[in-house]
Amino acid sequence: MSFPAENTSIRVAATGCLTPFGDTDATLAALLRGERALRPTPVLGTEGGDAVPLALCPGHTLNETAPPSWLRLLGQLAEKIPGDGWGSPRRPVFVTSSNFGVGNLHAFRRTRDAAHLAFATPSATVGLLQTQLGWGANVSLLSHACVSAHLGLLLATRTLHAGLADEALIFSFDFLSPFVTGGFHALKILNTDFPAPYQNRDTGSIGLGDGAAFAVLTRERGDFAVLAQSLHNEMHHFTANQPDGAGFDACLAPLAAAAAHRRPWLKGHGTGTLEAGRLEAGALARAFPGAPLVSWKGSLGHTLGSCGLVELALAAGALRAGRTPGTIGSAAPAFTAAVARESFDNRHLDTVLCASNAFGGAHAALLLAAS
Amino acid sequence: MLSRYIHAIHTEDPGLEEPAATRERLKERFPRGATRRMTQPGLLIAAALANLAPGEDDTLVYASCYAESRALESYLDSFPTPSPTLFQTSIHPGSVQQAFIGRQQPVRHFFPHTGRPQLVVHALQTALLAPTPRTIFCGGEERGTWLREQRAASDRTFAFALLLTPEPAGALGKISLVATDGTATERFLLPAFFDALHARQAIDIAVAPGLRLMLTWS
Repeated sequence: MSFPAENTSIRVAATGCLTPFGDTDATLAALLRGERALRPTPVLGTEGGDAVPLALCPGHTLNETAPPSWLRLLGQLAEKIPGDGWGSPRRPVFVTSSNFGVGNLHAFRRTRDAAHLAFATPSATVGLLQTQLGWGANVSLLSHACVSAHLGLLLATRTLHAGLADEALIFSFDFLSPFVTGGFHALKILNTDFPAPYQNRDTGSIGLGDGAAFAVLTRERGDFAVLAQSLHNEMHHFTANQPDGAGFDACLAPLAAAAAHRRPWLKGHGTGTLEAGRLEAGALARAFPGAPLVSWKGSLGHTLGSCGLVELALAAGALRAGRTPGTIGSAAPAFTAAVARESFDNRHLDTVLCASNAFGGAHAALLLAAS
Repeated sequence: MLSRYIHAIHTEDPGLEEPAATRERLKERFPRGATRRMTQPGLLIAAALANLAPGEDDTLVYASCYAESRALESYLDSFPTPSPTLFQTSIHPGSVQQAFIGRQQPVRHFFPHTGRPQLVVHALQTALLAPTPRTIFCGGEERGTWLREQRAASDRTFAFALLLTPEPAGALGKISLVATDGTATERFLLPAFFDALHARQAIDIAVAPGLRLMLTWS
């Protein structure tokens, strides 16, 4: 059944991100230079294991501390959020993450140090953030693996359109720990190979990275607009997509219709897995013929539940700069001719599609353009 | 005011029933062999959703503070050789995904909420803002073992599912979030919401600054 995109036309008043390279500007500059943040790192931290590609923020170690070292990093990111009164009735916050502080639960199980328990559940972690950042009680928490940030964006949009808020803050973070690196390694998609998104090769692999980001949405101001948003959950298999790519098509079709008269470039999910990468590149080529496609996870790694917001901030930065970083880490042959391995001038294009995918065949995508 | 009418409801209150007993009790409701790898929350959510006939164009909202507690415990116990199956299963919306994957039922809009003090009001707001004709609001918790002892898991197991629409005719009840001038709030956690649903009790409570939750039954 055809389902329309939510034509949201909501403004982005501010956005910013934090990656191992630094803030949005530093990250964009590093991507444009073709740099990789991923480094071979023992998958279980001090417990050892295979050296897998991980991108950790300076000051954050894979083995969790109590308090987590990333709390300070989130504080630094939050200093860049404009305005105040967040978490009050008219200024809601949507916190999205795949893992919240679950790394501390693993640390508690390993060390029996009860100090870790103060950060071990989503509500405990976000409660501490609320205190640290001075937020009120109006803070929603969402966790849908790697499409989490997109859900926050859509709910913030609906809240604004319903007149229930003046501005809305979406705040997303995921920091690596042995809990998550061990899990992906067990799934055999995080291995010693570095990721090469959309490259047609024999073995797929991903890298994982720390990431955090925010966006402030409004109805009236901001130099970018989220034109339309779309979701789809295949519910076909926990870790595999429908083999014909129908799930990707179902999410993208409404956005292709919404972008019919626009000139987009595409920021795909592109983790480096083979089957999903092939399906995604094919579906994007069908929905947006000729539009150049990039993924940045070959450099930053997959920042999990934060990836949608981290990459939105970078996409906005790329639109502002007039130059889009290429698909770092990939070589020919690519799955489709649209895959851009090198950076390119985007000034002849007017829109970017940002897509993310997650366990359960979850798909989320949006259209971002200058307003 | 945001409001929807309740057109179907299913609650599961298994008390201290262990997962194996839940599997045995519910296995006839599922295709043969389907329950073998399902968790207790997966079984209970699937049972709660079954009579609501979820469809692709429904909005699905899920609320749970701790979600897959026992899968999480077992996954943590599997280190230093972490289990890939338990890693997948332990993710927050795992129970709903078990239910829907078991039915091979896609759904376009799925919003898994977590949190604790404001979980009910925020998940309800998501449900009541949904633009689709039908919204399914489901949720629940699983009684943990060693995580419960550390107050990092629920001390109760339960599940619920509501079918909400804007249509008043034939409704079982009505649920609303009403804007007020009040700033005082009362503690209202997910287990209390479940208890009201299970007993078909009315609710009229200040759940957040400036918001009252009202539940009435026909």
